[in-house]
Amino acid sequence: MQLLETTRSHQSNLATYCRTGEYTSIPGVNEKHVHHYRRLVYNVIDDTLRSAFPLTVNLLKSKEWNDTVQRFFSEHPCQSPQVWTMPKEFYTYLDETQPKLLKKYPFLLELIWFEWLEVELYMMPDKESEFDGKGELETDLLVINPEHILQSFTYPVHLKNAKFITVTDKGNYFLVMHRLPESGKVEFTDLSPFLVRMLELLSEQPSTSDDLTSRTAADFSMVPDQELTDQVQVFIARMKEKKLIL
Amino acid sequence: MWRRQMWGELMTGIGFRKDFAEEFLNSEILLPDFIEVAPENWIGVGGYWKKQFQQALDRYPLFVHGLSLSIGSPDPLDLAFLKKVKTFLHDTGARIYSEHLSYAKCDNAHLYDLLPIPFTRDAVKHVSERVHQVQELLQQKIALEIVSYYTPVAPEMTELEFINEILNTSDCDLLLDVNNIYVNSFNHKYDPYTFIDGLPLNRVSYIHMAGHQKVSDDLIIDTHGQAIIDPVYRLFDYARSKLQRDVPVLLERDFNIPELKELQEELDHLRTIRKNAIYPKVYATA
Repeated sequence: MQLLETTRSHQSNLATYCRTGEYTSIPGVNEKHVHHYRRLVYNVIDDTLRSAFPLTVNLLKSKEWNDTVQRFFSEHPCQSPQVWTMPKEFYTYLDETQPKLLKKYPFLLELIWFEWLEVELYMMPDKESEFDGKGELETDLLVINPEHILQSFTYPVHLKNAKFITVTDKGNYFLVMHRLPESGKVEFTDLSPFLVRMLELLSEQPSTSDDLTSRTAADFSMVPDQELTDQVQVFIARMKEKKLIL
Repeated sequence: MWRRQMWGELMTGIGFRKDFAEEFLNSEILLPDFIEVAPENWIGVGGYWKKQFQQALDRYPLFVHGLSLSIGSPDPLDLAFLKKVKTFLHDTGARIYSEHLSYAKCDNAHLYDLLPIPFTRDAVKHVSERVHQVQELLQQKIALEIVSYYTPVAPEMTELEFINEILNTSDCDLLLDVNNIYVNSFNHKYDPYTFIDGLPLNRVSYIHMAGHQKVSDDLIIDTHGQAIIDPVYRLFDYARSKLQRDVPVLLERDFNIPELKELQEELDHLRTIRKNAIYPKVYATA
């Protein structure tokens, strides 16, 4: 390390000013122009977060959003060298610091997580899967699209406009999100606990429809009857169309 | 130390941006010789954007221009990420890896923008040491870009002295961003032509051209959001004639993306200047 403490300190003072807006005099700095650094740096953070969390931006009042972003950027040292993954750190920061805003909007953290998952799924590296897509749904092994995420929420952030979510909506909500192989678009499907378990089992290994139905039913202490088998078949056919099942 | 690549005819490129990727790939309107991307925007990306990027790679040679190396930072280099960059350069067959002579991380926090390094002797040594470290890890030469800046920070020397000292003590190339030199000359009141004369032009391996925004009577911000203005084209013309050799040039446009034909017109303009500089018209004399 060749840097002198004075140089390091000047660099730190400029960086701190960009993050917090608190300026400590630095020799040689043009104080008329230095604010542009603060503006430009802050704009990158704000634009990236707005792009990742449009539903959250729409929910919050401008002051709530701006104050939260400002606090995040001041207090949290962003770790990712890739700015597009930085919004995940925004979620983690809010989860760890539990600001008052989360009391006003008890579903806010879930909304932000839901929005982040969509970004993550859309952008994540491709996952290979072996399937031929030609077999019989009723009898052949089924393969789940590996580019999926199973998620549970206590508020219906994926179903309802966030402005209309209230504490009375609190419950258990399950969904699967998956990326369409051709277009790369992300699809959401609301699930029952039974179907969640079934997809969990399918993600462990390819299975036939009957095997999946009986193993899932066993986990729920149920005996599969014809009605259940038919419902599972309908679901599987629908998911095949939606390319969650390949 | 490192062997310089031979460029052939890969001379006029465009920054590949998601904003116009689809139209660019599905039309014959914008026809660069190469494309440039920031590795930070593409490493670890799959799905739709990976497909688009692969289509672009299938058609165009790639130049890579990083954002987060933070060569002048007081913080240690992020070697783990640099290894990912190395893999990215290998996997994409990238022809060049350039970065900014600035810092973008400090106190263990990324700022995602380019802050000016103090023009000090210790910073020269610091940067030179890190250039060596980066080139050793990547096993290739990098090119450092002279960045635009809006205020000096505790300078002990001039900008030109600082850049020359770094090039004297580092085995790296120079990315000549002509717009940045114009912007800096305006903001810090010096002659851009004299500045170019003072650079070791034999070290220039790559040129960037872009537009900017004048935000006040005494300040221009390097936005990459406007068309290139004539004084910057003239400075480019001057730099090209001084170089006396062909060097790849990139058109950067990151915001306010215009119709692709407007970008193509800018590329054509750059090509014309390049040809005139390299193959000057010969007039018969009596």
